Amino acid sequence: MRSQTNIFAFTIITFVMMMLFTPEKASSQSVRVLVPAGSFHSVLPEVEGEPIQVDSFFMDETAITNEQYAEFLRENPEWRRSNIPPIFTYDGYLKTWKSDLEPDYEEVGENRPVTRVSWYAANAYCSEQGGRLPTLNEWEYSAQLLGIEDEAEMNRFSSKLISWYSGIDANNLPEVGSTGIETTTGVKDQFGLVMEWVADFKPIIADEISLDCGTVGRMQTLNSVYSYAASIRYITRMSFNPKITTGMVGFRCAYDESDRSDQTKHEVTL
Amino acid sequence: MRSVFIYLILFSVLGIVEVNGQDMHHQHDHKQEALKAGEVQSGHSLYHLDNEFITHRNEKVKLSDFADEPVIVVMFYGNCTQVCPILIQDSWRLYSSLSESTKKTVNVLAVSFDTENDSPEVLAEYAKDEQLDISGWHFVTGKDTDIRMLAMMLGVKYQKDSNGDFAHSNLITVLDAEGNVAKRVEGLNQPMDEAAWLIESVSKNSDETK
Repeated sequence: MRSQTNIFAFTIITFVMMMLFTPEKASSQSVRVLVPAGSFHSVLPEVEGEPIQVDSFFMDETAITNEQYAEFLRENPEWRRSNIPPIFTYDGYLKTWKSDLEPDYEEVGENRPVTRVSWYAANAYCSEQGGRLPTLNEWEYSAQLLGIEDEAEMNRFSSKLISWYSGIDANNLPEVGSTGIETTTGVKDQFGLVMEWVADFKPIIADEISLDCGTVGRMQTLNSVYSYAASIRYITRMSFNPKITTGMVGFRCAYDESDRSDQTKHEVTL
Repeated sequence: MRSVFIYLILFSVLGIVEVNGQDMHHQHDHKQEALKAGEVQSGHSLYHLDNEFITHRNEKVKLSDFADEPVIVVMFYGNCTQVCPILIQDSWRLYSSLSESTKKTVNVLAVSFDTENDSPEVLAEYAKDEQLDISGWHFVTGKDTDIRMLAMMLGVKYQKDSNGDFAHSNLITVLDAEGNVAKRVEGLNQPMDEAAWLIESVSKNSDETK
């Protein structure tokens, strides 16, 4: 009798453990990387000369994949293609998917970054994960932590970057983590894969900046090939509006450090 | 050489955005028509934003809690001592020009984008100082993401500078009973008669449907 109770208790415990741990495995939750505090030089004219301070934060190692996004949609029907209200997106939302919950994996690939998601949808996804979109400064700060010391090498890298920006092939995106471009803190593919949404992609200065050569010239305050490439990125991003759904824009999430410590505590109590 | 190159890049990038831009015009026209006809365009309602905000009375609210009656929305921040009091005063001017019966049903949401400093307690203090801790007025804050989404939906731009001040749009928005943007008043010290008239008519509409 007693051993029966034990077996029963064991079964219950096993079941509870499975309940607790299986969803996490299945959720294909992305790896989060700590980006330590620091500062960097922005190419925006208003902050010329003054480095921007960034607090430490966590960021997804890679961009969100189609598979991860499909899982979010399974839990959040209001963000499915057939339900999403037009105030949050244009018609192109997840246009290449077979149906509401089925990315066309032959076309878009399981581990390729999800694209054709509006800024609103990206926000909703990150909120659901307990995070948020990185701020423009957080994203840019992380992106330039490349550890390339040699000026010639940096110029070569930046030139590659410029040609990438000029021809992102939205129909043939590589898988996340495959570009080989990784920051010193371990954040992958901030270049070479897709453009990415940031929380404040349209800083106020965007109103005064027109997309012309003169502006790009003025933006190149740092006078390097990298700042030229960055200017193109800034200007492209500023031309977006929150409802656009293009094949070359994906996203990844950021997390405050305090959120992370809550989570760790939670894990410890388990 | 470089300038030709950048034109190429910008055109290739903008080409993609442009396609969507056409959708935008289409939808915009659609919305305008809907407003004239007084129809419900529920797909464009701000009440689709399902996120929770918190008021200066420490109440958790969703935007849709204010449905069925018109809402005046203004975004500001507490430490803004020059422009924001005028913006709040403008909202008061609009509110106080309404009939007594409409004042009872309309809600005013003054939403702070300074999520770091404007806690519900700070906002409660602010409401008291402005003598606006009155029924129907809600000083609201929330998660940074949620505030930014609301701002984006309203078309309010804001950006923190290194001094902790914000550059921001001055905009008062009137939402109709369904949560659609019915009127936008941009700038400071603007005439409010049109917005007031609109609120009165929306308010009457919702009386009739009851």
